[in-house]
Amino acid sequence: GWYFGAARQKGKRKTEELSHGYTVVSLEKPFVCRKKVSGDYEALNDRLKTLPDQLSYDIMVPFGPLAFMPGKLVHTNEVTVLLGDNWFTKCSAKQAQKIVDHRMKYVKNELDGLSKTIKNFEARVGFAKDLETISAVFIVQVINGGKQRMAHKPNSKPKQDVFFDFKEEDEENEEESGDSGSRKCIMTEEELWARLDELEKLEELQDEQDKLSDNGDMNGEDTSSSSSEEEKDADAAIPVNGLSLKPGWSALPSSTAPLRQDRKEEEDFEEEEEANCLPTIYFSHTVEPKKVRINTGKNTTLKFSERKEQKEHSKRKKKNGHSNGHAHHELHKITTPADIYSAVIGLGKFFPSLPDQLRENSVCSDTSESSAADFEERRIMGRSFSHDEAMHSDTSDGITEEDSPTAVLLQPPSRFEAFSGTVIEKDPMPSAVPHLTISPPALPTILERKQEEVAPDVAPPQQAPKRVSKFKAARLQQK
Amino acid sequence: MAEAIQKKLKVEVEKYAQMQKEVSKSMSARQKLETQLTENNIVKEELDLLDSSNTVYKLIGPVLVKQDLDEAKATVAKRLEYINGEIQRYETLLKDMEKKSEQHREVLSSLQQEFQKAQGLAVGKV
Repeated sequence: GWYFGAARQKGKRKTEELSHGYTVVSLEKPFVCRKKVSGDYEALNDRLKTLPDQLSYDIMVPFGPLAFMPGKLVHTNEVTVLLGDNWFTKCSAKQAQKIVDHRMKYVKNELDGLSKTIKNFEARVGFAKDLETISAVFIVQVINGGKQRMAHKPNSKPKQDVFFDFKEEDEENEEESGDSGSRKCIMTEEELWARLDELEKLEELQDEQDKLSDNGDMNGEDTSSSSSEEEKDADAAIPVNGLSLKPGWSALPSSTAPLRQDRKEEEDFEEEEEANCLPTIYFSHTVEPKKVRINTGKNTTLKFSERKEQKEHSKRKKKNGHSNGHAHHELHKITTPADIYSAVIGLGKFFPSLPDQLRENSVCSDTSESSAADFEERRIMGRSFSHDEAMHSDTSDGITEEDSPTAVLLQPPSRFEAFSGTVIEKDPMPSAVPHLTISPPALPTILERKQEEVAPDVAPPQQAPKRVSKFKAARLQQK
Repeated sequence: MAEAIQKKLKVEVEKYAQMQKEVSKSMSARQKLETQLTENNIVKEELDLLDSSNTVYKLIGPVLVKQDLDEAKATVAKRLEYINGEIQRYETLLKDMEKKSEQHREVLSSLQQEFQKAQGLAVGKV
């Protein structure tokens, strides 16, 4: 899988970095030494040039380690040269110069080689560092579709756990390696790679299994697991995070939000370890949400949070065991605000005073009716995009996720959505407080919805007009 | 049971440490030989550059002994050969030592596992 490759690369990079750093350091010493030596030789060369100029020099001769004696330097052309390994030769100054030049060449060659290798390693180190900082944008695939389907398939759970155990082990290994040092890091890297291999094989096996069962599943799961793996494997992830993730994994329904959260934490952790904030790109496979046009003429694009609200709402309602397979005019079962509006439309006959626009919401309903998949997807989109904003709603989503797909499947044929999105009204309906002020379509609170849920059965027709009025007021205000 | 294993473990660890020392010794000896090799190569080159006009001396202890250029050349060549042979010998030695140490390492690890098991059992019992 690609994610393994990436993780491996990342691990490789790290080892490379470390090894290169080490080699650079180790190469510096001989480099410096050789530089000194070449300097000495240059000075020697100069001395040899000037030495034969005079027949004899008056010098201060070192006498033991502490004293000097005035003396003369004679036979200025005769130089005894150490060839190495206790071999000497007597030669003229010029010959000595030749020898010195020779040695200079040799030393320079070595210097050049050393400097080249140092540069090489430095470049590699820099490159590795850059790679880590630049490309370490943790690409987290939000596997909403996969997750949802996961809810269908309980047999896929153990897979996750299996992955997870490996990850934990890896984390432990990495922690140890991180503690010990660079060399040990390299060792555990190798272990890591071995583990990665195992995991790859496992994955492939599971891939095959899944292909038999469901096609779409694997991609989502694998990518999620792999991406999280990647994160963990690549850096010395802290087992705490991993442990915290485990419940998220095993408790699939509540997976997305806590998972994402944990991932983020993980990433943050990893980022901290790297002493840098790394950008995280979240993306999901899902389809772009449709823009719902309300027949008011405004092109109102529903905010994702709104949609999520709707999802959440619908899910919770479904969780309560309601099936929305009832007829349109469900005066008793209102699961989403959309239901309300559909109810309103149904009741439109009874409330001729309603504006036509509301009644003609069939346009929106058409779009909504187009596909249950759309509905799902919109939900997914909402979830994926708004996770940053509303984690709590995410969790609620997660909780109710399980129920949703089944419920949705039941819904489409009979469902008549007046209005595929939700206009969020902050104040709970049943409270019946006359707000004509519209709350901006901000993040809804779960409380509201719960209250809605609580009192759905309470004379919806009674509420409907109030809601209608609110809605109308909202639109008016928006205008 | 655990104690016996522990003792065994200690013994093995000591042996292993010994092995490691020997390995490092031979490594350093080999490195010495390497440096000598390079040096003698340089000497050979220099001697080749010299002509017979200049005398060659050999430092034996505190004494500089005059040597014939040809003799010197021959001596250096012989020394080079000797050094090469030594290096080969040391290489083979090192390999053997490595193998032995590997074996030792395996033994150690197995013993460690046993020890851990025993410890685990003991803990379980307690």
